[in-house]
Amino acid sequence: MASPVNTGRAGVINAPDDAGSMDQLAHAVLDDLLYNIVHDLLIKVHRDEKIARAATAAIRVEKLASDASDSSTPDARPDVKVETDAAIYDEGKVTLKGNPLVTTHDIVCPRCHLPRLLYPTDGKGARKPDPSIIYCKKRPYIDKPGYDIYGQTWVAQGPGRGKKKKDMEKKIDPNTPADSPTPASEGGNVGGGAASRPPNMLSFPSATCSKCKRCILVTRLNNHMGSCIGNSGRNASRAAAQKISNGNSNGNGDGTPPSSQKGTPLPGSRAGSPKKRDGDEMDEDDATDNDAHKKKKLKPMAASVNVNKKLVVKPKVGAGIKKEKKNDDDDGPTVEVAPKKKVTKVPSPAKKLKLGVKPLMSSPLAKSNGKAAVGGGNTGDDAASESSGTLSSPPAA
Amino acid sequence: MAARPTTPASPKNVKVNSPVPGTPLFGCEHIQLLLSNNQDTINSSIQYYKMLLRVIFDKDPIVAQTSKTLEGLITTSLTSNFLCLQCSAILSEEERLKHGAKKGHRFYVDSRSGSLFCQFCEDFVWDPTLEDLRIRKMGTGSFSSRKRKHEDMFSDSVKESMKEEQRYISANTTAASCRADGLRGIYNAGATCYQNVVLQSFLHNPLLRNFYLGDGHQSNDCQVSHCLSCAMDDMFQDFYALENTNGYTAANILSGFWISEKKAFENLVTTKEQDAHEFFQFLAEELHERNGDGKKPETGSEHSCNCIVHQTFYGKLQNQTTCQNCGGVTNAVESFLDLSLGLENLARKKGKKEPKGEPSLTLQDCLDEEYIKSDKCEYRCRNCNSSQQARRDHSIKLLPNVLSIQLKRFEFKQGSRDRAASKIRTKVQFPLHLNMLPYTTRGQSDNGRESQELNRSCVYDLLSVVEHVGEIDTGHYVSYCRVGDQWFSFNDHRVELAKKSDVLGSQAYLLFYMIRSLA
Ligand SMILES: [Zn+2]
Ligand SMILES: [Zn+2]
Ligand SMILES: [Zn+2]
Ligand SMILES: [Zn+2]
Repeated sequence: MASPVNTGRAGVINAPDDAGSMDQLAHAVLDDLLYNIVHDLLIKVHRDEKIARAATAAIRVEKLASDASDSSTPDARPDVKVETDAAIYDEGKVTLKGNPLVTTHDIVCPRCHLPRLLYPTDGKGARKPDPSIIYCKKRPYIDKPGYDIYGQTWVAQGPGRGKKKKDMEKKIDPNTPADSPTPASEGGNVGGGAASRPPNMLSFPSATCSKCKRCILVTRLNNHMGSCIGNSGRNASRAAAQKISNGNSNGNGDGTPPSSQKGTPLPGSRAGSPKKRDGDEMDEDDATDNDAHKKKKLKPMAASVNVNKKLVVKPKVGAGIKKEKKNDDDDGPTVEVAPKKKVTKVPSPAKKLKLGVKPLMSSPLAKSNGKAAVGGGNTGDDAASESSGTLSSPPAA
Repeated sequence: MAARPTTPASPKNVKVNSPVPGTPLFGCEHIQLLLSNNQDTINSSIQYYKMLLRVIFDKDPIVAQTSKTLEGLITTSLTSNFLCLQCSAILSEEERLKHGAKKGHRFYVDSRSGSLFCQFCEDFVWDPTLEDLRIRKMGTGSFSSRKRKHEDMFSDSVKESMKEEQRYISANTTAASCRADGLRGIYNAGATCYQNVVLQSFLHNPLLRNFYLGDGHQSNDCQVSHCLSCAMDDMFQDFYALENTNGYTAANILSGFWISEKKAFENLVTTKEQDAHEFFQFLAEELHERNGDGKKPETGSEHSCNCIVHQTFYGKLQNQTTCQNCGGVTNAVESFLDLSLGLENLARKKGKKEPKGEPSLTLQDCLDEEYIKSDKCEYRCRNCNSSQQARRDHSIKLLPNVLSIQLKRFEFKQGSRDRAASKIRTKVQFPLHLNMLPYTTRGQSDNGRESQELNRSCVYDLLSVVEHVGEIDTGHYVSYCRVGDQWFSFNDHRVELAKKSDVLGSQAYLLFYMIRSLA
């Protein structure tokens, strides 16, 4: 396999036959470097994939073992011997049979033990999933123009860059106040009503102002809070904080339009025309978001919750919904009876994600080495370097 | 993780990692034979693997890249060689096959990565025990996960937490769904993209994530009204525990922000600029206040605090002043949250040198300017008891775990922070991996330079990038964050896959690098 002198190991970058020796050397060096780059990429994918397949073989044989033993303690490692095509389970130890890249063709999630979907369902590289299989909920991310990694899109097209935002706001603003309280109106008129909207098209939610408890469309929240809470600098904000802690939900009462410096989104960010949105519009905002309006809105809000929550299936999520509602949607009624202090806090003990211990440090090289190798199960960012992240790449077997 | 291999000097027996559910015990059947042999073979195999890893990672690469054929021909190659695990041979790929046939040696170590190759399998093999050693060697430079080499270059608080050393392991997490992976957009609440980009970079910062998911700040117990740390806690919960994939409404952060009386807040409100960097500083200080020692993080002095923000972002700078008259040296040490690098002067200089085309800088150019080159100043020398010319040298005494860098793209002319501000669009190239050793006090001392290991312990990996696009007044902030090896772009509520070239091609304003040796 000795390479000819005019190239390197990859044999892709060839020097011309009449090249001088320095020229040949340069070509060979470049070619070797190219080889190394490809080698490094392949070995990373290989590692992720092979470890995930080995884990799959192990999980399967462990499952068989625990099924085979009639143990009432499911966590204990049963004292039986079981064998599959890919692995052997013997007295609590799992060993491999053959190369997992050959023996095992799919990947199960180390956490939920369901098979991982190996291809995105839409966009680049998409394939149809087998409808008879229940897959792990961690799915390959979707790469499709106009859609996000979950294949979602938004009713009013997300603010692009620069001036687009302005246009977007123009579309939203006329709809926000009173008229048609359908979910579609929450996000603007683009979608043309909930019925015609594809299920993966989301609308912009509303949130409750912690001070006046009004339900404000998220795209106007900063504007609103700026005037409602931060209207005249330090003292006012202190006063505002005071008021909020006292649970004063009567609106800010001062009715004065905020000075343009304070209440409006300021230039540094991308608001196209902050000035335009000052006083008069703020008043309108305040006026339309009154209680009557809020109640009217409640139902549609609930509907939009469902749109947003469509993926929520797990039992744990009960608490999650409650909380999410509070964050994303109008839950005026709940807030009114909430304790006066700490209204912005959302107590949600039920759904707390815990790490058991108190870890501060991450894995070494989470970036290049999934934890699958050492830890078995994965979450968080490490999981991404685990096999499923690279599933679409062919194994380098 | 289970078995802690002993040091080579120790006579104790080394062990194979104990079984972990969901993982085979060995990388392949052949490694299994090797490592379930008699204890002597286990000892020697594992010890020898460690030795080879030291050769690969601590010695000059030329050692492992140089091989010898059976005929005695010596070749140094750019591509991988194979180090035999059963004898001292270093072989090229072709020679490896011959060596295996002749000597019956079947296990080899890749000279560039330390990965193990099994010649029976004819494949790379990822053995849990051996792979664990390799990862540790690459990460901390040490086989023991308990200590990190060159501790004096890192902050004490980190040493402390290193001792507790609990890795972020899913086995301990409850409830989180496989779907909840922290990837969600954040709705723009009306010109709040400057907040969103900073929040995303916090959300994908492993140290902050582990702190909040590890119940570092318990919002249930916190009595502070409108506490921003509670709002962060809630946000982390929503990102990592819920299955929601729609955007997040950061209402609590926003109201905490509007209510806060912080100085940064006043700046943010009263100036025209809504600056992501100011918001970063604001949030860092606010979170320090809620979790830290209660002292204000002073600029210009040394502040040692154990809070999560200090542990994550803060490092220390050393400013050395040398009197040009008597040679007397004064050192001052100050803490820093981030490094602010000026672009304007450098770009102008570079533009003069290369008049054609747009001047383009590298991040290292900017760092050189600030932390390698010295400048002159007037200073009152105590020795000379008079005002003297002095040379000032800046260097980084203590490296932070997450290095935040601001590229000063917004310059304000002559004090007025008003309309005179302009945006500097100079292209600044920044690397995915950044070696900070040259900018450290230690790296600038004579003996600091050589060690491979020291170099490796100062390597940072890019974690997130905040980009400002468009004009200074009407522009927009977007960001990129790395999760594992995959990059994502965040444009308010919209999250998309990003390529490395997108990330590296962006007009970065803030850069966050995470130290690699943090294991
Ligand atoms: Zn799963
Ligand atoms: Zn093998
Ligand atoms: Zn602190
Ligand atoms: Zn002097």
